[in-house]
Amino acid sequence: MILSPAERSYLYDSLSQKPPIRPGARSDHQFRPLEAKTSFLPNSNGSARIRLNDGSECMISVKSKVVVTKSVTNLIDVDIDVAGFRDDSNFVSNLKYNLTSLLITNFPSQYLKLTSKYSFKLFIDCIVISHSSYPLSLISLATYLALKTTRLPLLVSEVNDEEIEEQPTFSDDWDNAKYLDEAFEPPIFITLGVIGTNLLFDPSIEEEQVLENGLIVSFYKDNVITPISNINLATNSNNSNFKGLNQKLIIESINLCNKYCPAIIKALNTLTEQDDEGDDDHIF
Amino acid sequence: MSRMEIYSPEGLRLDGRRWNELRRFESKINTHPNSSDGSSYVEQGNTKVICMVQGPMEPSSRSQADSTKATIEVNLSVASFSTFERKKRSKSEKRMVELKATLERTFEQSVMCHLYPRTLIQVDVTVLAQDGGLLASVTNAITLALIDAGIAMYDYVSCISVGLYDQTPLLDLNGLEEKDISTLTIGVIGKTEKLALLMLEDKIPLDNLESILGIAIAATHRLRDLMDDEVRKHGNVRASKLAKN
Repeated sequence: MILSPAERSYLYDSLSQKPPIRPGARSDHQFRPLEAKTSFLPNSNGSARIRLNDGSECMISVKSKVVVTKSVTNLIDVDIDVAGFRDDSNFVSNLKYNLTSLLITNFPSQYLKLTSKYSFKLFIDCIVISHSSYPLSLISLATYLALKTTRLPLLVSEVNDEEIEEQPTFSDDWDNAKYLDEAFEPPIFITLGVIGTNLLFDPSIEEEQVLENGLIVSFYKDNVITPISNINLATNSNNSNFKGLNQKLIIESINLCNKYCPAIIKALNTLTEQDDEGDDDHIF
Repeated sequence: MSRMEIYSPEGLRLDGRRWNELRRFESKINTHPNSSDGSSYVEQGNTKVICMVQGPMEPSSRSQADSTKATIEVNLSVASFSTFERKKRSKSEKRMVELKATLERTFEQSVMCHLYPRTLIQVDVTVLAQDGGLLASVTNAITLALIDAGIAMYDYVSCISVGLYDQTPLLDLNGLEEKDISTLTIGVIGKTEKLALLMLEDKIPLDNLESILGIAIAATHRLRDLMDDEVRKHGNVRASKLAKN
């Protein structure tokens, strides 16, 4: 319990105003300011770190491996490690399931195809160093940045190896490595808080305590896609306000995300471009 | 694979260093001011470590409270992407448990625990990349984070690994060297010759030990200066901010 009954009631009333009055003076569709850095792990094909003002922090590494396409069930493997939670806890496995299924269903696997027999397999490892609010959108934005800056070595051997037994060989020059695709924008998750008839983007930990419901909306290629799921964002607390979800709000959430998410994608793209220009490989 | 030349007749190692040269050492303190009481980031060559300290605080369970001194808990997590070949490591692995116990014992002696009775000092270490000298980098990172948290210590604990190649001690081994030759890791308190930590995972002939310890202690003194520079630099930045207000 991080809020007293009086604080809860005050916050609930402020958030259910039209327009809502949010702590931190954010408007309903505004994210908390975040700080990010990409490509700081020389051992990985892509890496990203995102940190929020409240100290929540998440790090992603993308590593690749050449596999025989037939021998694997999918070309993306996601692993999430949250500080203070066991790997087999419900919390971690839910996060992992959400992210894995989003990426597997929406990742264009032709980017990973090398030859008729071989493909790259991507291993996305995520460490949540500390978090206060529900970390899924943080993880997903960091994954976006990491995938956007992932570079894979250039294939120099023959693409068509159906008849010949040949192992793929790669260019020694790391400068020749290619991004997955310039136009590729990985799917992301956005968390929305539901309170009264209001929808709040990126609820903070205090807001999560009084929410009536929570929505996880996925967004890909300028559109909201499935899955859209609802969830109690306040983990480890008995949120007494929790209620059912009005179906009109789901439609509204789709409209809101369609309206505001392109701005998030644009901001993230600008960030990767700026990071690309700077030569500094330091994390901090 | 042909056997690589660990130490050439001309006196050069795989990465071009001489026997008594350290790798690039970079450190930063107060990297996570909003999520921890003390934090640090250490790079020794390609080994990269983040450390965060919480506390001294009230322990969540009574069993962790000692009425005479503070309890130090070290959580060491090594990222699965930290090595070239990706590998998932569990916390219950024998080597990790041993490293954790070693670190806890070292810092119980070096921190003035008697000043913080009934409290818990929680140290979370994340290893992002490893290329030899894991224990050494982790120890240095913890020292810096404890200093950042303002926890009283007798002096810096600076730590370094040394290997023995034939008769020559080699300072601050990288990952490749560490695979091939036996390695001793020592931690020294400040500018003294007192050892706070000594870890040898394989064998070294006893008659060579003295030369190894000699060079290692000299190196830890140098590392202590490098860490001290960083702490003072950060202190000055903070002091200038205070002066402005």
